[in-house]
Amino acid sequence: MSAVVAEFRRNRLSLSYVIVVALLILLVVAGGFLSDRFLTWRNFGNLFQQLVVLGMVSLGQTFVVLLGGIDLAVGSLVSASTVFIAHFLEWRPDLLWLALPLALIAATAIGALNGLLTIVLRVHPLIVTLGMSSIIFGGTLMYNKEPGGSVPRGLADFSYAKLWGIPVTAIVLVAVFALAGLWLQRSRSGRSIYFVGGDREAARLNGLPVNRIVVMAYALSGLCAGLAAIFLTARTGVGDPRIGAALTLQSITPVVVGGTILAGGRGGVLGTLLGVLLVTMLNNLLNFLNVSSYYQWVIQGLIIIIAVSIHTTRRRQ
Amino acid sequence: MVTPVIELNRIEKEYPGVKPLDKVDFAVRPGEIHALLGENGAGKSTLIRVMGGAIKPNGGSMTYLGKPVSWQSPKQARAAGIHVIHQELALFPELSVAENILIDGQPRNGLGLISSRARHARAAEILSQLGVKISTHAKIDELPLADQQMVEIAKALVGEVRLLVLDEPTAVISGHEVDLLFDNMRRLKREGVGIVYVSHRLEEIFEIADRVTILKDGQVAGTGPVGDLTRDEMITKMVGRRLEQIYPPRRKAPASGPDILKVSNLRAGHRVRDVSISVRPGEVVGIAGMVGSGRTEVAEVIFGTRDLDGGTIEFEGKRLDRRMPREAIRNGLGFLTENRKDEGLFLGLPISANVMAPDLAGITRRGLIDRRGERDIALEQIRNFAVAAPSPEVKVGNLSGGNQQKVLFGRWSRIARKLLILDEPTRGVDIGAKVEIYRIVRSLAEQGVGILMISSELPEIIGLSDRIFVMSQGHVAGEIDGASATEEAIMDLAVRSVDRREGKAARLEQVA
Repeated sequence: MSAVVAEFRRNRLSLSYVIVVALLILLVVAGGFLSDRFLTWRNFGNLFQQLVVLGMVSLGQTFVVLLGGIDLAVGSLVSASTVFIAHFLEWRPDLLWLALPLALIAATAIGALNGLLTIVLRVHPLIVTLGMSSIIFGGTLMYNKEPGGSVPRGLADFSYAKLWGIPVTAIVLVAVFALAGLWLQRSRSGRSIYFVGGDREAARLNGLPVNRIVVMAYALSGLCAGLAAIFLTARTGVGDPRIGAALTLQSITPVVVGGTILAGGRGGVLGTLLGVLLVTMLNNLLNFLNVSSYYQWVIQGLIIIIAVSIHTTRRRQ
Repeated sequence: MVTPVIELNRIEKEYPGVKPLDKVDFAVRPGEIHALLGENGAGKSTLIRVMGGAIKPNGGSMTYLGKPVSWQSPKQARAAGIHVIHQELALFPELSVAENILIDGQPRNGLGLISSRARHARAAEILSQLGVKISTHAKIDELPLADQQMVEIAKALVGEVRLLVLDEPTAVISGHEVDLLFDNMRRLKREGVGIVYVSHRLEEIFEIADRVTILKDGQVAGTGPVGDLTRDEMITKMVGRRLEQIYPPRRKAPASGPDILKVSNLRAGHRVRDVSISVRPGEVVGIAGMVGSGRTEVAEVIFGTRDLDGGTIEFEGKRLDRRMPREAIRNGLGFLTENRKDEGLFLGLPISANVMAPDLAGITRRGLIDRRGERDIALEQIRNFAVAAPSPEVKVGNLSGGNQQKVLFGRWSRIARKLLILDEPTRGVDIGAKVEIYRIVRSLAEQGVGILMISSELPEIIGLSDRIFVMSQGHVAGEIDGASATEEAIMDLAVRSVDRREGKAARLEQVA
């Protein structure tokens, strides 16, 4: 936690944080006026539960974007992992201890493969991960076309468990973010992500193990997608080959809204966390106002374009 | 009295808190090469931009060819015949030479379509005026920098040019490329073109310029015919203080002891064919030679960023086996690259991170980076190398060229306990920072570090080196003692051809 606070202190004048926090406050106030159910404990409990999956995937995306890359395979990877987990657990509900680590290892390995391919083939990550996304999606559909499988009681309970009124999953998410913040700021490998993202050639010249760091960032993105899939399967109780499709774009929005620049080398996880909060709260409020999900898609698209354009204009000045 | 091509009267430019131009008078006559001198930040760039229409002054007036003008845009100034060639060339790397030269006025055929044949004919015509042989079909990024620069000059010749502004054109070229540039400048001068010439190299000013204007803190510190000022007077006016000695004293006794670095019969690619050099502890060894003679490539092979095809590299008597920068750094080698922005610095990261990048292990305690330790080291290096920055948190991209270079010294002086390789360490930095860098280099050597310094500036090579290796066409053409070296002796070796057949071709090229 201290690392997150330290990061915040160092960046306290960072405009993107100020904007996001201001927007958050605006949203809470507006929500309070527009809907009498928005500003309730019950709703915030739901909201925190909702943001866990997006939060996990966005965290993984943050590592890759900081590196100057992008991971468009996360959505498919989440879907595939939910299918794997739900079907494995339907077959052997008693092997929960094996199913979850297996899912995480597989997701991490696919992420690492993404990173490896960008290095070995020298193909832009946009293409590598887009291709990988298609491969995973197709592969999952071959195996299973409809939502199916089931999860044991214990896992489902975990999804709704609360500690002092706060969803346990949300607590886990914040803990993971704090850990990620500490890792990025205070560990050699975490710090190296900024170096490689800032200038890959300079990083090589400074003796940093560039290839290893690239593979690591993509592997972490895969790991985060796997964790997100666990949360998602626990909540829905099934494995759905299409459930993660929207997550790819959705995971990039909080990252750029939170001030991590697509060129890499600048940004951090606190911004992403705030971005996740903002996006989820906005969708939540729009739901209360009975705005159709079609509009929510439009708004999502607008947000990502505006957020990136703000950073580009600022950098040009 | 001839009407000046351009005349600036009491030009002022002010930004909140800074005044880059303060009542500056400046005039260029037709057929005159007018040198503009000054440290970085003295106001040269601002003055150039005012003339070229990129910046509107807050005060003063400007006349062009006798008429008062006030440019609304760079385009307007260009249409009137003012061409500014910036240090960073404005070329499209993926397009052909012809397309780049005629970027503003693509010739069209009867159907109103761009005519490729007419374009190449016109571009070839302009290039032949300049006396350079560059294929109009070549892509820009296939060309050496010197040729790219010629393409940039050719662009200026497409329309009518009355005033040509060259911002540090020789920073990226050397030897006969400079001669070719100067020949073309003289030719344009004979045609009555006014030329503004910005350079940090005083020797060039004496060679090419007719008049000189020196800027200091946004004001004119002196102006007049080049012959009226001595080199020392120019420096004094530029830095505002006397520089008794630009180069620190050389070491008294020649370095002794075993070689720290011994390179034997090195081969790599087509640029490095047979290179044997050595460096002893505490010694400054210079590598001179033309751009393209393989100097940088030798450094890259030693540091491990370029593959080696043959020969051996011995470091402290041991063969360097695993050829990668990480291994070199671990052995106490540092490499300050020629192109600090692309290959050295993380511009978006703070000074502290830039200083510590190769040595994260050194500040990691129990798996975590010690922030205070990092800050302390960065502060110490900022003080040691007199980096002008308020704190270690300042982003390196916000520093001037000279200060960026000092940050790199701050980084590598910690790492390079045994050997520091410097590639053009003073490129693009002002004279004040240069003097400081020379002191730093010498004091590192006095602490026992071996220094291998590549430079295109002969006075710098001669002034600083204990020994000098001169490279030519991928070979070491000769070794000279630093104390007795002369520019003529170095140039003689640098243009010497090692391979007979190639040598003949090279000489013919020079004659033609």
